Amino acid sequence: MPLTPVHLDELRALLGADGVLASEAARFTYEADALALEKHMPDVIVLPRSTDEVAALVRWARARRIPVTPRGAGTGLAGGATAEHGGIVLSVNRMDRMLRLDVDAMLAWVQPGLVNLALSQQLAPLGLYYAPDPASQQVSTIGGNVATNAGGPHCLKYGVTFNHILGVVVVLEDGSVVTLGGEAPDSPDFDLAGAVIGSEGTLAIATEICVRLLPRPEAVKTMLFDFTTIEAACRAVSAVIADGIVPAAMEIMDQHTTELIEDWLHLGLPRDAAAVLLIEVDGPAVSLEAQVEKIGAHARALGTRSIRIAKDDAERAAIWRGRKSAFGAYGRTASGFYIMDGVVPRTRLAEALAEVYRLCEVRGLDAGNVFHAGDGNLHPHVLFDARDAAAQARALDASHEILRMCIRFGGTISGEHGVGIEKRSMMRELFAPDDLAVMARLRGAFAPDGVLNPGKILPGDGDGHSAPAQMGGMRVRDDAQGPWI
Amino acid sequence: MTQAATRPLAELATADPARYAIGGAAPRFAARPALREAVVELVAAAALDRLAIVPWGGGVALPHETTPGRYDLAVDLTALDRVIEHDPEDQTLTAECGVTIATLRRRLAAHRQELPLEAAHADRATLGGALAANASGPRRLRFGSPRDRILGARFALADGTFARSGGKVVKNVAGYGIHRLLCGSRGWLALILEASLKLAPAPEHRVALVYAVDRATLLDGARWAFLPRLEPAFVTVVSEALTRAIGVSSGAAFSVIVGLEDDRPWVAQQEAAVAKVIGAPVARLEDDEAGALVQRLADLEEADAARRTFTTRGNTPGALGPIAASLGDRFVFHAPAGRLHVFGERPLATPASLTRIDARGAGTAADTTASATGVTALRARIRAALDPGKALALGDRWTGM
Ligand SMILES: Cc1cc2nc3c(=O)[nH]c(=O)nc-3n(C[C@H](O)[C@H](O)[C@H](O)COP(=O)(O)OP(=O)(O)OC[C@H]3O[C@@H](n4cnc5c(N)ncnc54)[C@H](O)[C@@H]3O)c2cc1C
Ligand SMILES: Cc1cc2nc3c(=O)[nH]c(=O)nc-3n(C[C@H](O)[C@H](O)[C@H](O)COP(=O)(O)OP(=O)(O)OC[C@H]3O[C@@H](n4cnc5c(N)ncnc54)[C@H](O)[C@@H]3O)c2cc1C
Repeated sequence: MPLTPVHLDELRALLGADGVLASEAARFTYEADALALEKHMPDVIVLPRSTDEVAALVRWARARRIPVTPRGAGTGLAGGATAEHGGIVLSVNRMDRMLRLDVDAMLAWVQPGLVNLALSQQLAPLGLYYAPDPASQQVSTIGGNVATNAGGPHCLKYGVTFNHILGVVVVLEDGSVVTLGGEAPDSPDFDLAGAVIGSEGTLAIATEICVRLLPRPEAVKTMLFDFTTIEAACRAVSAVIADGIVPAAMEIMDQHTTELIEDWLHLGLPRDAAAVLLIEVDGPAVSLEAQVEKIGAHARALGTRSIRIAKDDAERAAIWRGRKSAFGAYGRTASGFYIMDGVVPRTRLAEALAEVYRLCEVRGLDAGNVFHAGDGNLHPHVLFDARDAAAQARALDASHEILRMCIRFGGTISGEHGVGIEKRSMMRELFAPDDLAVMARLRGAFAPDGVLNPGKILPGDGDGHSAPAQMGGMRVRDDAQGPWI
Repeated sequence: MTQAATRPLAELATADPARYAIGGAAPRFAARPALREAVVELVAAAALDRLAIVPWGGGVALPHETTPGRYDLAVDLTALDRVIEHDPEDQTLTAECGVTIATLRRRLAAHRQELPLEAAHADRATLGGALAANASGPRRLRFGSPRDRILGARFALADGTFARSGGKVVKNVAGYGIHRLLCGSRGWLALILEASLKLAPAPEHRVALVYAVDRATLLDGARWAFLPRLEPAFVTVVSEALTRAIGVSSGAAFSVIVGLEDDRPWVAQQEAAVAKVIGAPVARLEDDEAGALVQRLADLEEADAARRTFTTRGNTPGALGPIAASLGDRFVFHAPAGRLHVFGERPLATPASLTRIDARGAGTAADTTASATGVTALRARIRAALDPGKALALGDRWTGM
C-alpha cells in the first residue's frame, strides 16, 4: 500500500517533523545497503529517538500492515536493510548514545545506533573494550552488529557478537517492549535474546543493548609468515589450533591479493609467496613469548620462508594495513567482482581453496582469496570484466558453485554477512524443507503479520536475484585504505 | 511435515515407567529409543494419542521436580549416546545428546581439549540435559555457558517434525538460532537429539586457592573489587555447613575459593596478584586436584532438593551484601557468573539485584511489569508455534497454562 499524505502527517505527529524523511532524494539515499545490486526505494524514512517512539511507530505501521525495515549504518552486505517491499525504513541513527556504563560489573547499555568503534573509543580510558570488531566497525552500528551477529578478525579468540550481548530491549511486531536476557551472565529460561541476535531485523527491533565489556589485553604480538603453497599456510593454521593455542586472529592472503596490495601500497609483502599468513596473539605479556615461539615452530615445520614479528605499534599497524587493504586493492583493478562469505571446517581449508581456484579457472575467471583462516571463514573474490555480460554470468555461476562446495564440505553459506535477500535462495540448498518450516514457525511466533522486514532470510516470497554481494567496480582513492572485508 | 506413526505406542514404549517418576509420580509409558528415527516415530505415535511427554536425560534434576499436571510418557534419551564427529584440529564436536558430560570430558582430555560445560554429577548428567537446563557452574563467566558453546542442533518437535538449525562450523549466521533458543528450554520446546559444540583447549595449569573468611570480610566489596579484571576461572563462596561436601573446609564461616587456569607463567603471576591483595590461602590445590574440586563445587548445585537459584550481575563476593542477613548457613555463590544457590526452606528476603531463575515463570511470579508480561506472552507464542499440541508437559508450568 503506498503511503498517502495523511500517513505522513500521522507519522510527523508521532515522531516530529524532523523525524520523517519523505523527499525523493532521501528515499533514494536509502534504496540499498552495501549490496548495491538490490535497489528498492522505501516510501518513507523515520528517525525515532527512543524505544517509546520505535514502539509507537511499529504499532502505527502494524495497524496499517505497512512493512518496517530497521536500518543501522547500511553497511550490510546481504540486502537486509533494503526495503524490498517498500514501506518504512526505520533508521536508528538518532539513537546513538551510551545509556549507562557500569565499570565494576563490566557492562554498558547502549542505543542501537551507537557506532561500534565509538563504543570502544569511549571505553579506552577505562582500560575496557567491546571485543567484536567487524571490519566495518568505523561505521557499522551495535544494533546492526546484533541483528547480523557480526564477526570480525578477532572473533577467533573472543567469539562473535552473540557472545558479548547480555541483554537486549526489543520492540516486538505488536509494539510491545520486552527485555530479553538482562545484566547477569545467566538469565532465566530459554535464550530469547539468542534467538533475536542474528535475526536480521525480522523478529524484533533492538532499541537498547546491554554489552559485556572486557579488560583490554595487556600485550599484543603480530606475526607474518610467508609460504610457497597455500596448503602449507592452511595446515599451519590447523597445527596451531590443534596445539591448543587460540590466537586472537589468523588471516590468510593469497598471492593474487598480495600482489595487488603491493602494486598499490608497497608495504614490502613477499610478492612471490603463494600465501601470507598473519597471526596475532594477545593477552598477559608473560603468556605471549611462549605462544610466539610455538607458533613459529609450527610455521617453520610447515615450511614458512620467513617470520616477521612486529617490533612496535607502527609495524603492527603496517602489517594490518596490508590485510585491511585487500578489498580496496581488488576495487582498484577489477571492474567487477563477487564476494562470498562461505565457511568450511578449518581442517578442510586447503581443499576448499583448491576448489575455489578450480571452479573459477574452468570458467576462465580469476579469483583472489583473503580470509579469516582461523574460523574457516572464506571470502573468495570472483573477478570479472563488468562490461562482459557473459563473464558476469559465469562469475555468478562460479559463486554459487563455491557456496555449494562449502555446504558439501560440512560448512555454511554465511559466516558473518547474513542471508538477507542475497542468499535466500541458497537456504534451500543448505537446509531441508522441514528445517525451514520450523524457522518459519518461529518467525510466526515473533512476527505473525509480516510487518517486520518481510521477505528476508527465508526463501519464499521472491528469491531476489540470488547474487553474492557485488562490490566490484568500486574505485578507491590511491591514498585511502578503503573498506575491507 | 509430520512423520506418520507406523506402530502403536505400546509397542514402542517398552521401558519401565517406575524408573521415571517425577516428584514421586510415574508416567503410564516409558521408552528408551536408541535411534533418532525411533524418537521421531515415538513422539509421532504419542501425538496421535495426545499424550503428555517429558524428555529425560540422566535424571540428575528431573526426579526432584514438582510433578507435572499431565505426564503420560517418559522419553529417555540416554541410549542416543554416540559421538558422531570429533576432529581435534577443528576443535569442534558433534554428539548425540544422551552422552554424559563425563564421557565427553574423558574423550576430550585425551586430546588436551575440553567442553567447558559444567553440570552437577557429570557422570550421569547428559549433554542434552546440560543444554536444556542451560546448566552452568563455577567457571561460567570465563568459559561461557551452553549457548556460547552450541553451534547447531538436530531436534524433534513433539509433532514428529525432525529438523536442525545452525551447523558444525564455528562461524555461521545462516538462519535462525533455534539451537540457542533450545538452551534453557528444559524439555518443553523440543527433544534435543544431537548438538555440535565449540571446544576449548584444556588449560595448561590449574590452581585453586582456598581462603577462610568471616562475614564482615566476605561482604567488604572493596576487598574483592580487583578480581574481575584479573579474569580468574572462578571465585566461589561456600558457607561452612557445605564445605564438608567439597572436602576443603577452611574452618571459618565462609570459604572463598579462587580458581586460576591458564599457562603456567600467567597463573603464577595471577596467584601473586591475588596473594598481594588478600594474603595467603589456607589451602592450595593444583591441576587434577583443582579440577576435581571444580566438579565438587558444581555438584553442590544438587546438594539438596530444596533449593532456590538466583542470578545477579554482581560479580564479586560483595554482591551478597544485600541478601546476607537472610542467607542462612547453606549456600554456594559462583561470584563472577552471579549464580547463587540457597538450600533449605527458610524465608529469604530477596533484593531487586537478584533474579530467581528456578521458579515457575522465572522472575515473572512477582514481576508484573509490562516487559515480564510481554515475555511470558512471547514464550507462550513460541510454545504454540513449536508444540501446538502442548505435548511437552513441562511447558505447562512455564507458560502459565
Ligand atoms: C567494507 C565492509 C566490511 C565488512 N566487514 C565485516 C566483518 O568483518 N564482519 C561482519 O560480520 N560484517 C562485516 N560487514 C558487513 C556489515 O558491516 C555488518 O553486517 C554490520 O553488522 C551491519 O551493521 P549496520 O549498522 O551497517 O547494519 P545495516 O546494514 O543497516 O543492517 C543490517 C541488518 O540488520 C538489521 N538491523 C539494523 N539495525 C537493527 C536494529 N536496531 N534492530 C533490528 N534489526 C536491525 C537490518 O534490517 C539489516 O537486516 C562488512 C561490510 C562492509 C561494507
Ligand atoms: C532451573 C534449573 C536450572 C539449573 N541450572 C543448573 C546449573 O546451572 N548447573 C547445573 O549443573 N545444573 C543445573 N540444573 C540442573 C540440571 O538440570 C542438570 O545439571 C542437568 O540438566 C542434568 O542433566 P540430566 O541429563 O540429568 O538432565 P535431567 O535431569 O534428566 O533433565 C533436566 C531437564 O532437561 C530436560 N532434558 C534432558 N535432556 C533433554 C533433551 N535431550 N532434550 C530436551 N530436553 C531435555 C528434561 O526434560 C528436564 O527438564 C538446573 C536445573 C534447573 C531446573
